[in-house]
Amino acid sequence: MGSLEEAGSMNGGSANVEGNGASLRESNGDGVIRDTLMEVEEEEKVKPGLKEPKTNGRVMAPPSATFCQENGNDNNSKRRKPPLPLEVGTRVLCRWRDDKLHPVKVIERRKLTSGPDDYQYYVHYTEFNRRLDEWVRLDQLELDSVETDADEKVEEKAGNLKMTRHQKRKIDETHVEEGHEDFDAASLREHEEFTKVKNISKIELGRYEIDTWYFSPFPPEYSDCNKLFFCEFCLSFMKRKEQLGRHMRKCDLKHPPGDEIYRNGSLSMFEVDGKKNKIYGQNLCYLAKLFLDHKTLYYDVDLFLFYILCECDDRGCHMVGYFSKEKHSEEGYNLACILTLPPYQRKGYGKFLIAFSYELSKKEGKVGTPERPLSDLGLLSYRGYWTRILLDILKKHRGNVSIKELSDMTAIKTEDVISTLQSLELIQYRKGQHVICADPKLLERHLKAAGRGGLDVDASKLIWTPYKEQGN
Amino acid sequence: MSRLSFRPRPLDIHKKLPIVKSVKDLDSDEGPGVSRTVHHNHIALDAENELVLSTPTRRGGAEIPTPQFVVVESYERDYTRSFNQPPSYLRGRGARSEATEFVEYDLDDEDEDWLLQLNAERRILSPERFEWMLYRLECMDHKARERTGGVPATQGVVVPVLLQREVAIDTLRPQISRQAVLTAVYDFWKSKRDRWQKPILRRLQPPPPVNDTNPFNVFRPREKVHRPHTRRMQRRENDVSSFEKLRQVRLNLEQSRNLILALQKREEKKRELMECEANLQRVQLRLKHDARLDDDGFLATNTSNSQPSRKFVPSKRGEDGHGLVQRYGSGVGAQDQIDGQGVGVRNPSEVPTASGDCIVGDQMDRLKHKRKRRRLPVPRGRPMRRIKVMDSLEPVLLFTKPLDSEKLAAAGINPPKEPSLENGLTASPYQFHGRIGRGGRIIFDRWNPLTRTPIGSSSVVPSPSTFRTSPTAERFHAPPPPRLDVHATTPLHSNNTPVAGVVEHTSSTNAPPP
Repeated sequence: MGSLEEAGSMNGGSANVEGNGASLRESNGDGVIRDTLMEVEEEEKVKPGLKEPKTNGRVMAPPSATFCQENGNDNNSKRRKPPLPLEVGTRVLCRWRDDKLHPVKVIERRKLTSGPDDYQYYVHYTEFNRRLDEWVRLDQLELDSVETDADEKVEEKAGNLKMTRHQKRKIDETHVEEGHEDFDAASLREHEEFTKVKNISKIELGRYEIDTWYFSPFPPEYSDCNKLFFCEFCLSFMKRKEQLGRHMRKCDLKHPPGDEIYRNGSLSMFEVDGKKNKIYGQNLCYLAKLFLDHKTLYYDVDLFLFYILCECDDRGCHMVGYFSKEKHSEEGYNLACILTLPPYQRKGYGKFLIAFSYELSKKEGKVGTPERPLSDLGLLSYRGYWTRILLDILKKHRGNVSIKELSDMTAIKTEDVISTLQSLELIQYRKGQHVICADPKLLERHLKAAGRGGLDVDASKLIWTPYKEQGN
Repeated sequence: MSRLSFRPRPLDIHKKLPIVKSVKDLDSDEGPGVSRTVHHNHIALDAENELVLSTPTRRGGAEIPTPQFVVVESYERDYTRSFNQPPSYLRGRGARSEATEFVEYDLDDEDEDWLLQLNAERRILSPERFEWMLYRLECMDHKARERTGGVPATQGVVVPVLLQREVAIDTLRPQISRQAVLTAVYDFWKSKRDRWQKPILRRLQPPPPVNDTNPFNVFRPREKVHRPHTRRMQRRENDVSSFEKLRQVRLNLEQSRNLILALQKREEKKRELMECEANLQRVQLRLKHDARLDDDGFLATNTSNSQPSRKFVPSKRGEDGHGLVQRYGSGVGAQDQIDGQGVGVRNPSEVPTASGDCIVGDQMDRLKHKRKRRRLPVPRGRPMRRIKVMDSLEPVLLFTKPLDSEKLAAAGINPPKEPSLENGLTASPYQFHGRIGRGGRIIFDRWNPLTRTPIGSSSVVPSPSTFRTSPTAERFHAPPPPRLDVHATTPLHSNNTPVAGVVEHTSSTNAPPP
């Protein structure tokens, strides 16, 4: 199972851009980001088990040739000894876990109890996504490289997309990567301000201790702790291992609290109604937010159904990932939010979740589409899925076919069908009419680029009826 | 001409598209890479994502790093191999809260620290027991609050402890026998609750208010109706209900427009009327000054009667106004026209001024009839009616109307009875003529200002001597103060004797003496 090729390989094996874009939708007048759960995050290349200890007092190698190119040049002109402690906003080089120096920006600092001038710095690696922001000690920072002026060059290199000046400024101000442009500046800043520092740095969930990626708005009682212990079945979270141990002795759950609607081998899918299992749904959202940047927990969970994908063994059903879905989507969305937990990423589970959401749509007799906007990786995964499904049909199909027919066959919304075929340049204009180009060689090439389809959903094993409001 | 200049044609999703099996078919006549832009709804949304897709190697092929994870070593020990997957699909049970024996509460750090202190070296209370007690306290307190109906709807409101110590301890006593432990736990729970100001069991904590914007407060209740924050709703929905709404809006706007138009029309009419009346007054003023001149010329004009009457007809101004204005307005027209020629033109109302004999009344009638005849083809109801109402004997006074006895009766006003019926005295001094004066007051004239005779005695034959004074004098110089208000008249009627000051004949004293 681990050998499954990841979808991201369509771009020369390099497209591991994690989707942080996700789903921030509108913000209302008061600038608060509303709604929702949505983001596709998955299939990251991670290095399990390679984790180094978080380097407090680690002996630092001297700055070396591994210096970041852009910065190295710039720094020479501005090099001088900075006053300590470093100010928030300082740009400096920092030794990362790969033992190389990377440009960072100081986001926050905090005093340590060990000495009057001992500070820890919360830094953002400007080359990377926000999820890698972390607390570092002073000796990890290369003080010679401190710049007081904002380094426009790095920013420009980091975001050399075609952007308006406004967008550039926004990114510079707030330090966000692409994919956040759907916010207005005010709500974006607010979002950044509230979430700039991860509150929980790691969690223990079942077999894994996982470094978190983003801030999650846990209740204020949990603001004083660094690590949370989750019950892997009911997702209750506690501050101490003993508490978890006590909880595990009494917790009677061995699987998500809803109905099992799919089982294939060791893989099971559970449907949990956010209304019937409110606390579970909320716990799941708290947990998911740790790995999704722009998911918001603004609204309650009772209007959503959660589909929890589990791997089952004799210890219970272990959550692998999930997606959520509105009970009634006015916009025809069949998926709101999707997450594969980091230890299970890049194993095809994300594609499975996407495929599953379309299987549900087929059962409902509707076409569906994921809630927009997608994160970059979200779209990548979806494009891969769409490409695979549509091209498989085109390969076999005889005779003419309309977009609507393709949509009806696959439950993929017509707009998505068109955008997929178009991005592959398969819709051509010839002698005054549109034609679909289905040259077998061309299709094969696209299919190969789209990667493997992930784990297959066996529709015959799906036992499910569409959600109905009780009493109706 | 470049193919790119073609306008992209929208793709019909229902149209069957031919599937071309070979790229060569396309290449032969279209050339490579020519594809039309096809519009689809997500093009704007996906635009930035397209950028990402089209620049996949931007990061130089390096792996995108993610935070890491490790395997928990104690996992194998922590979790027991106690799960037997049944052959059938698992069914969910009810929510946790319904399972009564399950202790939902988990001790937090504070609880554990307190318990450690309590236990010291001895083992007074087990953590599980303590957990259970706190859970029970929370539940009991919540029930107590439900009974009082005081469950707060939203977060931020202080949720006070309602559970009484005695009640709590009594309930827990069967399970925990030691009074000291019970009291200590209750006090600990109470003080913790007072500090938190909300239930310590998360399920029982109220949700944040819907309009709270604090991002730390999560899981607001949401109603489906509250969705218009989305971009979709800001655009106008193209459905039946919006159509109905817009149609209603249009209907309302049209109605208000009609209303405004009608209002405008009315105001225009009012202004016209006012202009006519003002003109009339001007003419009457002039007439007053020219009264003596008219005396001489009257007979001449009277004999050639047809001339002035013909001139009334084309008078525009006269036709626009109502009856009263008509009468004088036409005179104005005639006057204006004739003045320059020096021909004596007579207004019908001036007829008596010059006649000086008893034919005045007849003459007026005749004139009136003549005008009536001439007016017949004119399809205007209002002037006609007015003219009918007009009485030649009645003083023609500006802004006045004849009394409507029915309306008076309806308002509870009885006109003064004929005095002659009440007593044997001579009737003539107490005869009245009622009318509604300017401003709507009811006026009883005992004196005909036009003929300058007491009403009822010799109205038909006016005294030439008094008549010499201009009849218009009273019309314009009638002193307003002692007029009767409609309400004020009622006591008068009961008296049956008009007070002198009330009655119009006093105005005659104001008239300049001949």
